[in-house]
Amino acid sequence: MDSVPSDGSGALPLTVFKILIAGGFGAGKTTLVGAISEVRPLRTEEALTSASIGHDDLRGVADKHTTTVAMDFGRITMGSHLVLYLFGTPGQERFWFMWDELSYGALGAVVLADTRRLDDCFPSVDYFERRGVPFLVAINCFDDAPRYDPEDVRIALDLDPRVPVMLCDARQLSSVKQALITLVEHVLSGRGRARPAAAPAVTAPGG
Amino acid sequence: MDPGDKWLDRDSGPVVRPYALTGGRTEPADGEVLDLVAVVVAVDPPEPAEEPAPGQVAVTLTPEHRRILGLCHNPATVADVASDIALPLGVVRVLLADLLQAERLMVLPQRPAHEQPSAALLKEVLHGLRAL
Repeated sequence: MDSVPSDGSGALPLTVFKILIAGGFGAGKTTLVGAISEVRPLRTEEALTSASIGHDDLRGVADKHTTTVAMDFGRITMGSHLVLYLFGTPGQERFWFMWDELSYGALGAVVLADTRRLDDCFPSVDYFERRGVPFLVAINCFDDAPRYDPEDVRIALDLDPRVPVMLCDARQLSSVKQALITLVEHVLSGRGRARPAAAPAVTAPGG
Repeated sequence: MDPGDKWLDRDSGPVVRPYALTGGRTEPADGEVLDLVAVVVAVDPPEPAEEPAPGQVAVTLTPEHRRILGLCHNPATVADVASDIALPLGVVRVLLADLLQAERLMVLPQRPAHEQPSAALLKEVLHGLRAL
């Protein structure tokens, strides 16, 4: 492996990557981040913009100009200069405006699927497809969830054949690690980088 | 109301409205919104000049500014700072912009976010992940 200059100067710049962990509420996003890194809370108090006003019901709260979004993130330090951040995306669709920020410059995304509520990951899949963000679908193997063949899930989600679909246990470091490795390999293969569809202003599906 | 009603728990955040810490400002002073993973680091304060240099804005540092500076002795990302100081991201961005303007902080260069990372860099990430 490439060696890192170790003259103690510390001059090597920090290279930072972002990976998004998406999926419906309760799909195991925080569990996944926690399996591989220390989970840290991040709170935003966003001034409502025109982009978000449609998603935030302001009736009866005329003076409310900010909305609070709580997110989780984790940090994985690799070597002396590589840092990987995992950001759990806020689940509710009214926080789409945060997704634009999170996905900007992101290396890729893991969409966690819960086979009991598979349709919960439709919005994430749709979002990353439209944004040209490379992603994979990781089926979180909940103990009481029916087991499906990944190929069945691919069909149910109407995924591009190139999008990796895998089984995952969000509680297990080894499993989460494998999901991230698969994602980076997917990006590296160049197949994940579909042409972004001219990045139109993203609106919530059906919203 | 029953004074025992604990409707303001920790999750509800501070009682002071968050943007009070920025004097009501919700936009960074320089208009630049720092990326969540932009890396900032504290720099030594400029020599106190007799008169401020042109373009230099005298900023009175609040306790929150000082706490942020303390967190940035080593390079830190915006997300790290916001999490460590437990203030909302938007507030932290305004405070960071103040510190950048006052030349107490600098943003370390990163690869352009819209560019795909090089294969060599991606392989380094893979290697790092495998080694976990």
